[in-house]
Amino acid sequence: MAERKPPSAAAWPPRAELTVLNHDLPRVDGPAKVSGRARYTHDVRLPGMLYARVLCCPLPCAEVTLDLAPARKIPGVEGVIELMTGKTGYLGQPVAAVAARTPEQAEDGLRAIVLTLVPKPWAVDHAQATAEGAPKAGRNGNVSKENVAGDAKDAEAAIAGADAVVEATYTLPVQHHACLETHGVVVDYRGGDQATVYCSTQGTFTVLDDAPGELGLKSSQVTAIVDHMGGGFGSKFGIGIEGKAACMLSKQLGKPVHLMFDRADEFVTAGNRSGSRQTLRAGASRDGKLLGFVGDVTKLGGTGGGSFPGGRPYIYSFEKSCVRVRSVYTHTDSARAMRAPGHPQASFAMESLVDELAAKLAIDPLEFRKRNLKDPVYRRHLDAVAREIGWPDHPNKTAPAALADGIGVGIGFAVSTWGGGGGDGCEVDVRIDRDGSVVASVGTQDLGTGVRTYVAAIVAEEFGLPLDAVVARIGDSRLASATPSGGSTTTASLAPSVKNGAAKLRGMFAERLAKTMGVDEARLRFAGGRVADEQDAKKSLSWQQACAVLGQEGLSARGTHQSDLAANGIHGAQAAKVRVDTLTGRIEVLKMVCMQDCGLPLNRMAIRSQIQGGMVQALSYGLLEERVIDPQSGWALNANLEDYKIAHPLEIPEMVALVDDEDARGVIGLAEATVIPGHGAIANAVFNACGARIRDLPMTPDKVLAALGKVG
Amino acid sequence: MSRTSKTGDPNPSPLSRRNFLKGAGGVATGGVIAQGLLAGTLGEEGAAAGDVEELSGEVEIALEINGEPRKVKVEPRTTLLGALRDRLEPPLTGAKLVCDRGQCGACTVHVDGRPAYACMLLAVDLRGRKIRTIEGLGSPAALAPLQASFWKHDASMCGFCTPGFVMAIQACLEKNPRAGLAEIRAGCAGNACRCGTQPQIFAAALEAATQLSKGGK
Repeated sequence: MAERKPPSAAAWPPRAELTVLNHDLPRVDGPAKVSGRARYTHDVRLPGMLYARVLCCPLPCAEVTLDLAPARKIPGVEGVIELMTGKTGYLGQPVAAVAARTPEQAEDGLRAIVLTLVPKPWAVDHAQATAEGAPKAGRNGNVSKENVAGDAKDAEAAIAGADAVVEATYTLPVQHHACLETHGVVVDYRGGDQATVYCSTQGTFTVLDDAPGELGLKSSQVTAIVDHMGGGFGSKFGIGIEGKAACMLSKQLGKPVHLMFDRADEFVTAGNRSGSRQTLRAGASRDGKLLGFVGDVTKLGGTGGGSFPGGRPYIYSFEKSCVRVRSVYTHTDSARAMRAPGHPQASFAMESLVDELAAKLAIDPLEFRKRNLKDPVYRRHLDAVAREIGWPDHPNKTAPAALADGIGVGIGFAVSTWGGGGGDGCEVDVRIDRDGSVVASVGTQDLGTGVRTYVAAIVAEEFGLPLDAVVARIGDSRLASATPSGGSTTTASLAPSVKNGAAKLRGMFAERLAKTMGVDEARLRFAGGRVADEQDAKKSLSWQQACAVLGQEGLSARGTHQSDLAANGIHGAQAAKVRVDTLTGRIEVLKMVCMQDCGLPLNRMAIRSQIQGGMVQALSYGLLEERVIDPQSGWALNANLEDYKIAHPLEIPEMVALVDDEDARGVIGLAEATVIPGHGAIANAVFNACGARIRDLPMTPDKVLAALGKVG
Repeated sequence: MSRTSKTGDPNPSPLSRRNFLKGAGGVATGGVIAQGLLAGTLGEEGAAAGDVEELSGEVEIALEINGEPRKVKVEPRTTLLGALRDRLEPPLTGAKLVCDRGQCGACTVHVDGRPAYACMLLAVDLRGRKIRTIEGLGSPAALAPLQASFWKHDASMCGFCTPGFVMAIQACLEKNPRAGLAEIRAGCAGNACRCGTQPQIFAAALEAATQLSKGGK
């Protein structure tokens, strides 16, 4: 940008001078969370509040008719509404909703609805959707137009000249976000011209997109509250069909309505990570140079298109490449953004392919990667994770281990990339009162990343105060504007605005204090809870004394986005060490390591948590998760947390999260990047451990045994 | 979504095998299915006849929660979790409803000192038992040692699973203050965290165990 830096523009201090930022900061809302006092949308209880539930169609495609009358006769049921009739488009489509005085009565009401279904032909998987004469799930047929990048002939010619060629098909299942707090809202509209909507969302202000219209109000008449939210991972923007139903019921009944999906609803109608099928062909030279790549990629995103980072081969540099990407539509709910949409799918296939080529050429897979990654940052990160996981002393680098008692131990690697930059749209009000209070206010939401904490920390750093001297107010649409949290953009969008506001306010306060203290403004230092003349220690005020010079109105400033405080474009590398029992096929992950860059680390502890969380989710995706729908009956077979298993404590290995301190840039969001490479690293470790190359996730024991040729 | 019979449901579905097969057959043959059959409460015939089965009916019971006697109106089928969250006045919403079938541990409370999933217990069965919830362990201003350790180690991100993990591990440490990593992992093996805070949870629990075994609270 050619924008000229205004003279008062803020800058991050040198890292060595930071006393709050770039340290381990226990999150400011920690006490509320560990004591069960943090209030989530699920926990909102209001006088006269009704409990609502939705009825989801249990078949992928059916002609639906509803008889709501029996539900209205259930004691306690106050409202029953139809959401749709006629032909449904996907399994789990909400068709009706009930509001009642108790959750039990709402469930009775739901069960009393007579839902008559005439099943229509459906397609719930790739095979059904692409069969001849398949029932149409997409608007324009079941297979989208292809997106082609690169020249196929050139790429094929490059592969033809290669010393080693690998062709393989990699498949990844549909994954669920499995947010522990289901999607939902509490709509409090008791008539009149004011309503409050509590919502479990990734965007406080996205609530104002839909809710006012549904309530017949203006945006200015609706307040959105997102005090705490129990996980989103990309699936929670706007109020959704569930929010619309709650608005309709609250408006009709004049009472607050609490509508949260139940766990089964959440599994069929609250979004997912698109499945992926990738047939890849690639060749490399004897000395380990990637030459040609041809990729044929299908996304399975239900009624949505799904995600995949097309355009060129994922991260690795090939001399020539051609990538074709298409979507296949099915009668299942639309995929939604899920933490690094498309990247974990692309990464698994590419990292497996690269590993297969390295093995074929008997080249150390770490070396092979380093030779084919242009960006030197990756080489630094790969070396760091290799050291930490014990690769230098690992005995079998280019061939699977010799098995002792049928047990193999192996190590694998993978890398990731993401943007993580931000933009305009966040404004922050920072205010000091004469009793010494400091408040930073912005309507943004905290998904668990620690937004509240870094908002307070940036202001504390600016004024030389301890973290607990600053209060961060967030999660309320009456506060200053903020962008929704998607694509790891929040930190790089919001943190610069906080810094900008805090710096402006410090300038104003310094000007005021300079007069009172008779000191040149430029010589005033804010540090250690005091304001002092840096050349005359006697001229010094405690924070309390300094603030006492202010009037009743206090002092405040509004921060806006300052782009030079943030950056974009991050890297990460991960290594996994596994133990494979070749008699049972069981994979045990022993250790995972990640090194990640993220510019200026605002809160090192929250960053390590984010990195470890990404590795846990990747482990879970790689070993456990898969949506299963029976193509014959159309039933969702694992729409619950025992049959759809996510990683539990017994699956969690030792984890090491390394922050790359050589990255001197401004702030960058890192959450997405950390979930991308872990399952690929595990798959490569499994191969290194026992020679089983698993190309289909999740890596369940049967697949290990099949890959070893032990079972058909 | 269809409600197949839930483990925690005190009114097991009257769905008979004959009716189920009839309903499932309807799908396969392209027939007509009534939701009652799928949901397992109302048969097609029942619905046609306009029968409505009422499963409600409240009684007031006394429960001992966090050392205090509390009165709460429940139905026979109301779970302890439902009583705590939706019926108690004021409610105790620290225990979370996540899976509603004993698979995630987010609703873990203590009953007579032992960890229990509140979604799997009927409130009426708990008269005369001592119930402790996360709210009875410590408050933001006076955190219990394990809670303080969770905070210090950043063992909660979105925080929705946190009360359940705290209660599960607290019970584990009360049983054995010298618990090591293996015992701590086993003690919270039934708890799910989607954000992936388990490594920090283990660190927090180990530190609290060290403090407890030295004679802390």
